[in-house]
Amino acid sequence: MYGFEALTFNIHGGYLEAVVRGHRSSLLTASDYNNLCQCETLDDIKMHLSATEYGPYLQNEPSPLHTTTIVEKCTLKLVDEYKHMLCQATEPLSTFLEYITYGHMIDNVVLIVTGTLHERDVQELLEKCHPLGMFDSIASLAVAQNMRELYRLVLVDTPLAPYFSECITSEDLDDMNIEIMRNTLYKAYLEDFYKFCKKLGGATAEIMTDLLAFEADKRAVNITINSIGTELTRDDRKKLYSNFGLLYPYGHEELAVCEDVDQVRGALEKYPAYQSIFAKLSYGESQMLDKAFYEEEVKRLCLAFEQQFHYGVFFAYMRLREQEIRNLMWISECVAQNQKSRVHDSVVFIF
Amino acid sequence: MEEEEQQNRPESCENGREDGEAEEQRQQEESVLQFLDSMDGYLTLLDSLSSTLRQGWIDLASARHSMGVSRVTSVLFDLKLHSASTTLHVAEQADSMGEQPHFVLYKWSSSDSGKCGSGEIEIDKRELQQSSSPQLRHRGASPHSELQKEYPAGSTTSPKAYQVQNERFKLLSVFGTLVSPKLHTAQLSFETALGTLVKIANMRSSMLSAFAQVQKQSQATTKMA
Repeated sequence: MYGFEALTFNIHGGYLEAVVRGHRSSLLTASDYNNLCQCETLDDIKMHLSATEYGPYLQNEPSPLHTTTIVEKCTLKLVDEYKHMLCQATEPLSTFLEYITYGHMIDNVVLIVTGTLHERDVQELLEKCHPLGMFDSIASLAVAQNMRELYRLVLVDTPLAPYFSECITSEDLDDMNIEIMRNTLYKAYLEDFYKFCKKLGGATAEIMTDLLAFEADKRAVNITINSIGTELTRDDRKKLYSNFGLLYPYGHEELAVCEDVDQVRGALEKYPAYQSIFAKLSYGESQMLDKAFYEEEVKRLCLAFEQQFHYGVFFAYMRLREQEIRNLMWISECVAQNQKSRVHDSVVFIF
Repeated sequence: MEEEEQQNRPESCENGREDGEAEEQRQQEESVLQFLDSMDGYLTLLDSLSSTLRQGWIDLASARHSMGVSRVTSVLFDLKLHSASTTLHVAEQADSMGEQPHFVLYKWSSSDSGKCGSGEIEIDKRELQQSSSPQLRHRGASPHSELQKEYPAGSTTSPKAYQVQNERFKLLSVFGTLVSPKLHTAQLSFETALGTLVKIANMRSSMLSAFAQVQKQSQATTKMA
């Protein structure tokens, strides 16, 4: 019952909530980012990160460093923290934590299938998979020719199996079908996660439904903008939007017929929650839209820590770490390309 | 009368020689000017290439940041055999400075259609006609304005532009069909850079040819002296 979590939450979740709040305090601050933005080389970045919790993961990396190496090692830290929390968690927190990784699982499945379609070696594809999305039979994805085989041979025994019912066809896999498969799977996953959180009830339901609704809305906007000018029809575009969120259903009706960024702005400005995002952008601009959405997401994720005795802090922490890794990736790219003037284009400060 | 004619003959020879020398000097100066002009064009194009590539790389990084590192990665490049969408042809072009190689870029040629993207070939043919005789460039014309002529903003109404846009989307589909607009911007930057590279090759060719001409004339002048 909502409001009485304080009585019982700490029995099973107290230790892990304390762990995740401890991890949260080690997120990089604005002064850390200012120091990183002033680095001249990637070795300077490594030196600055050695004083943070990323230190042990980067210290043995030889020079010259590459931006992908920094991202890989920082991701390893996140994976270690996640695995520690998962092995300590009991139900339903363990299921909740597993839900957080299904998005990466979908990305990995699509990566392997797309790479196989392009006649790439499975081993080199596996090296590029996100570690949080790995599962045992992932290498077998390379033998599937269509979605039916994909499901029957591999995915039926994975947590993604229930999400396949909406996209099983016997059509051969090609670039368009794979893209539709990716977005259909992600839509099904988000809706399932949303239902799971609602079922948990209490503060978890309240906080997670808000965060997932924002995620669904953000995805709808990205799908709309990315599909402008492509052969994706309006009906197919609408089918990829999730069936929840602030924009559901009327916002989706408008987004489905948008042909440029200004029309997307017109559709979203009717919602006060998203007015502030587009207020930062000039007409016709879409370059800074990602940053504006990330800033709003970070604001909401940080607010999740203001309340206790709910699972939203775990989701928020994982997402904040991923944002931090994105920041480090961007700073590293700007330093490596000697374009430090562009560094503030995409860095989103968390604190 | 005869004496006057005899006096006038050396003078006319003198005048003829002076005229010849003046003409030779004029030609030499023109050759030097052409060489310096082509070198200026070469350096300007190099600078333009550098800034276009910088823009392309940062746009690509921005696309990876937006879409995720697993979506924009070299591991997704298509290794299946397919025809090149862009080809480079080298032709020998004869002009007043002798034979020099001329590079022509044929963009968006598709084996399915069986013919090259005609819009893009017309641009190259125009350049070929313009550069068939060595001409001094108009100073102050920036290469960016030349590039803008090739890629006018918002020109998506003609069927040729639509075909080109489709070809561009097809190439980016290795990363998925729903990609960020930043990836399209990066693609455009690299496409522009490729065109600039071909221009640099042509400019270098004419620069070397002009330099050879200057050297030849200089050696001839030294011998006569």
